[in-house]
Amino acid sequence: MSQAEAAQSSEQEWEPRILTFCCNWCSYAGADSAGTSRMQYPTNMRIIRIMCSGRLNPMFIVKGFLSGADMVMMLGCHFGDCHYLKGNFACNARMTLLKPYLQAIGINPERLYWNQISASEAIKFKETMENIVKKGKELGPIANELGVHAQGAGAQTSKKTAKAVAGDFFS
Amino acid sequence: MFYGKATDQATQERGECGGAVTAILTAALEQNLVDGALVIKRSESIYDGFPFFATTKEEIAEASGSLHCAPTLSAKVIKNYLNAARDTRVAVTCKPCDARAIVEMGKRNQLNMDNVYMVGVNCAGTMPPVPAREMIRKFYEIDPDDVVKEEIAKGKLIIQTKDGEHKEVSIDTLEKEGYGRRKNCQRCEYNIPRMADIACGNWGVIGPDAGQATFIEVFTDKGQKLLDTATSSGALTLTDAPPEGIALREKLDGIMVKMAHKFMDAQFAKYDGADKFEKMFADLDRCILCRNCIINCPICYCEECFTKKDYVMAQGTLPPEPMFHLTRLMHIGPSCVDCGQCEDGCPAEIPIAMITHMVQTDLQKATGYVPGRSLEDPIPLSEWEEVQE
Repeated sequence: MSQAEAAQSSEQEWEPRILTFCCNWCSYAGADSAGTSRMQYPTNMRIIRIMCSGRLNPMFIVKGFLSGADMVMMLGCHFGDCHYLKGNFACNARMTLLKPYLQAIGINPERLYWNQISASEAIKFKETMENIVKKGKELGPIANELGVHAQGAGAQTSKKTAKAVAGDFFS
Repeated sequence: MFYGKATDQATQERGECGGAVTAILTAALEQNLVDGALVIKRSESIYDGFPFFATTKEEIAEASGSLHCAPTLSAKVIKNYLNAARDTRVAVTCKPCDARAIVEMGKRNQLNMDNVYMVGVNCAGTMPPVPAREMIRKFYEIDPDDVVKEEIAKGKLIIQTKDGEHKEVSIDTLEKEGYGRRKNCQRCEYNIPRMADIACGNWGVIGPDAGQATFIEVFTDKGQKLLDTATSSGALTLTDAPPEGIALREKLDGIMVKMAHKFMDAQFAKYDGADKFEKMFADLDRCILCRNCIINCPICYCEECFTKKDYVMAQGTLPPEPMFHLTRLMHIGPSCVDCGQCEDGCPAEIPIAMITHMVQTDLQKATGYVPGRSLEDPIPLSEWEEVQE
C-alpha cells in the first residue's frame, strides 16, 4: 500500500484490502467484462491473474493473509467449464481442507471466499465484490487475528515496526 | 484373539509376559519369513533403549523384554538405514505411533509395505530417558541404576529393584510434577496398535496366565502368516482368550482413551481464544530454523522443501517467517501421527508436536481422515471425485 493511500485511509473509514486470485479464462475475463461495461464496483481488491484456479497452492492464500490481505478471494470457472478440464475441481477440493485449516491456526475461515464466475457474468462479479467488501468490513482488519505477524497491515494496527518483508503483495 | 506363550523356557523368562514377541520374531527369522527384526535393545541401562536390527536368534534374544525409556521412531529408521525395506524383509516391533507412522509412510511410497511385518506392542506411553532417571531418584528415592525393570500398569509406574523389591507411584502424581510420560504420549489415544499386522500386550490376560502370557490379536493376512510360522515351528503355544479377558482389555483401552482426551483438552486450552494465532506464534517465534522437526518427521519426505523457496518465505531471517511453520502444519497437519519426534528434537523446546496435533484433531473433525488407521484410507486431497451440484 502506498504511503499516500495509508495516510488517506487512516483519516477516513477503514477499508478492507482484498486479494483476488482470478483464473485467466473465466473470472479474469469476467472482471474485464465488468470494466468494459463501465460497472462501478469497490476498488478494494488487487487482482492476481493465474492460469487456472487449480494452479493455486493453498499456501499462497495463507501468504496473502500474512502479507496483510484482510480477505482472500479465489474466483474460478464453473464446473465443467475449466480450460484444463479438472482444475476447478482440484481447487474446490483444496478449499474444503483449507477452511478448517485456517480455523485451526486461528484465522477466521470466512476471510477466505471461493466462487465461480464465468467470462460473461460481469454483474455477478460486481455483486460479489460489493458483498465481499461488506463482509470484510464486518470482520475487521486481519491484524486483529495475526497481531504482529500481519506484515502489510496499516501502521495504526501493527505493533511491529521494522522487519524485512519478502513478498509484500501491496508495496 | 489368543493368549500366547513361548515354548522355550529361557525365552519365557527373558521376555516380557511369556516371551511371545521374542518367539514370533525368532520363528519368523528361522523360517526365513524375514531377513531380520528391527527391535529396541537396551544398552548401558534400562534408560537407554535404541533401535537395533537383529539378524540372528541370539541378537533377538538380547533385545527381549520391554523398555519404557525409548522415545524412538522405528518408521524413520527403516527408511534411513534399511533402504526403506526395498530389498530387506523386516519384522519390526512397533508401538502404535510407530505403526501409524509406517502406515502413513507406506501410503506415500516411502516404505515397501510388502516387506514390512509389523509386530505391534501395546503402549501406554514412553518416558524421556534423562528426566526418568531424575524421577526415580526424586519419587522412588533409590539409585536409578538399581532398577532392573519398569512397567506401567493400572495407572501406576511400577519398578523392580535389584533386590527384588517393588515400588509404585501413580502416574498422575508424577505427571503433575512434570515427570512421567512424554507430553505426546499423555495425549495419545492409541494404546493397542490396531493398524499393525498383529498386536501383542499384557492387557486382558486374566486367570492363572496373568503376567505369564501375552494377549495376541491378528489384524491382517501378514499377521496370520507370522503367527502360523511361530506355531507351526513349535516356538509359540496359543490358547483362546476368554471373553472376560477380551472385555477387560477393551475396558482398559477405554480408560486410557478417556484419559488421553482429558490431557488433550487440558493441553490444547493453552492456545484457545480469539488470539490463537498470536498465542501460537509467541512460542513458535523461538524457532532457530534448525529443521530438526522436518528431519525427524516421518511424514515430511520431499526432496525439495517448499520452505526453501524464496517466493514462499525470506531466506536467512530469524525467527523464520510464519510461513515456515504454517507450511509444515499444512503439509503434515492432516496426517500427523503425534509421535513427538519433532518436539524431542527441538532445541528451542517449542511444543511443536502439540501444535501439530491440535491442527490434526481439528482437520480430522472436518475431513474425517484418521491418520495411520489403515493403508486403504486415501490421504485427504489425494483422491477426489467430480460431483456437480
